[in-house]
Amino acid sequence: MSEDYTSMWEGLGLDLAGHDALLEVLGNGYQDIYLAQKDRPEGMGYFDFVMSEVHGLRIKELLDEKAAGRKVIGSFCVFVPEEIVQAADATLVGLCTGADFAMDEVEKLLPRNTCSLIKSAFGFKLGKVCPYLETSDMIVGENTCDGKKKSYETLSTLVPNLYVMDLPQVKSAEARALMKAEYLRFKGAVEDLTGITIDAARLKKGIEIVNNKRKAIYRLSNLRKADPAPISGLDALLANQIFFYDNPVRFTESVNKMCDELEKRIEKKEGVFPEKAPRILISGCPMAVPNWKLPWIIETSGAVIVGEESCVGERGTRNLTDDNWDTEEELMEAIVDRYFKVDCAIFTPNPDRLEHIEEMVKTCKADGVIHYGLQFCQPYLMESIPLEKALEEKNIPTLRIETDYSMEDVGQLKTRVEAFVEMIK
Amino acid sequence: MKHDIMNELQRIMEQNIADIEQAKAEGQSVIGFYCLYSPTEIAVAADAIPLPLCGTNNNPIAAAEEKLPRNLCPLIKSSFGFAVTDTCPFFQFSDIIIGDTTCDGKKKMFELLSRYKTTHVLQLPQSQDTAMALSLWRSELERFRKIVETQTGVVINDDRLRAAIRLMNRERGARKALMDVNKDKPAPLAGSQLLEILFKAGFLADKKKGISLMEEVIVETKNGAFRSKDLRGGSRKRILLTGVPVGLGSDKVVKIVEQSGADVVAFENCSGYKQAFFVDEKTDPLDALAEQYLATPCSVMSPNNGRFDLLKEMIQEFSADGVIDLTWMACHTYNIEAVRIAEFVQETFGMPILHLETDYAESDTEQLRVRIEAYLEML
Repeated sequence: MSEDYTSMWEGLGLDLAGHDALLEVLGNGYQDIYLAQKDRPEGMGYFDFVMSEVHGLRIKELLDEKAAGRKVIGSFCVFVPEEIVQAADATLVGLCTGADFAMDEVEKLLPRNTCSLIKSAFGFKLGKVCPYLETSDMIVGENTCDGKKKSYETLSTLVPNLYVMDLPQVKSAEARALMKAEYLRFKGAVEDLTGITIDAARLKKGIEIVNNKRKAIYRLSNLRKADPAPISGLDALLANQIFFYDNPVRFTESVNKMCDELEKRIEKKEGVFPEKAPRILISGCPMAVPNWKLPWIIETSGAVIVGEESCVGERGTRNLTDDNWDTEEELMEAIVDRYFKVDCAIFTPNPDRLEHIEEMVKTCKADGVIHYGLQFCQPYLMESIPLEKALEEKNIPTLRIETDYSMEDVGQLKTRVEAFVEMIK
Repeated sequence: MKHDIMNELQRIMEQNIADIEQAKAEGQSVIGFYCLYSPTEIAVAADAIPLPLCGTNNNPIAAAEEKLPRNLCPLIKSSFGFAVTDTCPFFQFSDIIIGDTTCDGKKKMFELLSRYKTTHVLQLPQSQDTAMALSLWRSELERFRKIVETQTGVVINDDRLRAAIRLMNRERGARKALMDVNKDKPAPLAGSQLLEILFKAGFLADKKKGISLMEEVIVETKNGAFRSKDLRGGSRKRILLTGVPVGLGSDKVVKIVEQSGADVVAFENCSGYKQAFFVDEKTDPLDALAEQYLATPCSVMSPNNGRFDLLKEMIQEFSADGVIDLTWMACHTYNIEAVRIAEFVQETFGMPILHLETDYAESDTEQLRVRIEAYLEML
């Protein structure tokens, strides 16, 4: 990190010793997993810089924004509509959930057999090591899965500013009405927080900012279809992860700039992996920073990841919000329409997801699918079994992985992934 | 007398199977229910038979694990296992199945279950308080009514619904009165006996038979037919069991408590006191059903303040000396809520709680026994 941020972290109430330890692990992991890759696009330099300053410069920017009167809203889920946040000149940030921390403390409040993602969110709070959480003026939880829904009840005793959004579980007209009512309530809460009345013009602006960010990511996804792949799956995942943290306008520019470079690479048939390297689509649970374990195992086993059917990936970013409307009411409907399409496993039934995976296998020219399920995440684990069967019936080789954030199973996973890569070669 | 009643119950249970077969042969529909949230009144109002479905036995779990993740709650695995092995007569009898989007495990299991039998899943809201929750649930019950109408060919008008509510209120009233006998000290009915009677009566297609049997049991317990005064003793600790539902086959914790010299005097769960509610007979019947059933204080709701209120009331009324909070393995909602329930009981009554997480298998019986005995010792 270029500057000394100690006093800033102290001001946020972080535990400096714990935070230093976390940054050291993060830095070492980044060195070993990211910087050790060969032939990375130059454009990744920007993302390397963002990562190196993820708890530094970016937090300083957020604090400067706050000093200038902007609000920061933290979120754990892609169902929180960023358009509404941007419309109120506020900033949405993803909260830390990608690594085990302070597990002894966490397991006093949550059962041991809760998924890593939820335990991690608690660990970062209890260990006082997440500057994003401490910077947030409002933290948004959502009734998605059982684990999150119930743990927010406990989280509300740890943070003063938790707002919980209810969500439907099926895709009926009544369910959509519930989602709309909740999005309107959220809009009201954001207005109360910021003191800004969100009108049609503001919604249009919010939609434009977020759509542009999505378009840039789609452009990146499209370029990954080339063989040889112009960028590694790890690097593309990083861009998808930073999607949740960075200033959206700057992020959009940086992704587009890198895409210009990737286009040139493709013209010259340059890639990060040799031509005809086995191509993998990852599907399943989200991977937040620094949860790079499985992609790292895959890409050090001779295969390249060409797409992520995940909340940190296409499930979260696909579908633009239609801004071709004039009134606030119509624009809110458009926002609801866009998010109601998200094919998360919390919905029952959720047939769109299988179709989407098949479509991604085709467009990304994937040779196989690796399903990534977080241990104890019932919605995704339950879906993975019939999904695997359905994909295999269509001659799409599928490997089902169930893991957590610990490193204990790396050797075992590596063996399984290598065997799978060998099989699909 | 106790033996007479239990024999009578056994006889009625056997007769029940024959009764249902005959009713089906005569054209009556059977509707299978997985959860307390869906009102059985809607089936009763169409002269259909509502049946709870098997899910309290360990045997079919191995078969279920061929199609479901292993780390899923035993209740879901057992329910699904009974369906795939086709070993639950009540599942066999059911023309359609009604499920609810309660927990993640169940709602995703129903997707697979629907391959075996027509399954309609009602969308239960995840909160009881939001403006939309009640109207959403009411519209789901309206849809449920149409499903049953299509199945049975009976138009369910309000009069039929009201009559069904009155009948089911009587049944719930009898169940509650039966459970309430153990407010007496010492408890006149062993927890395992109460559980067996409630469990078996729940499967009876003829609601009136069940009601009169329970009424008979109430009279007999008061006469000391089940446990004579001297056998009961006065010093047995009174335990309230809260948490997940228990039934025959999944009652190991109740048995261990009794073997350890204490009584389970009350069940704060959906096989017990969560059924002790009363649906308003005067207002619009569908409104009344929606409101009352949505208020069921299950941990799938967030927040679930009703459970804290119910626990407080029950600990007082049943003079509980201790509380055991039971969670089936991998049931996230009860498991996560357990921390706050323990805090609440400690703060309100100065009473420690014993939280147990287990499944239907017998492998941890001795370990549970050690923990339960240590807990009873502490009280």
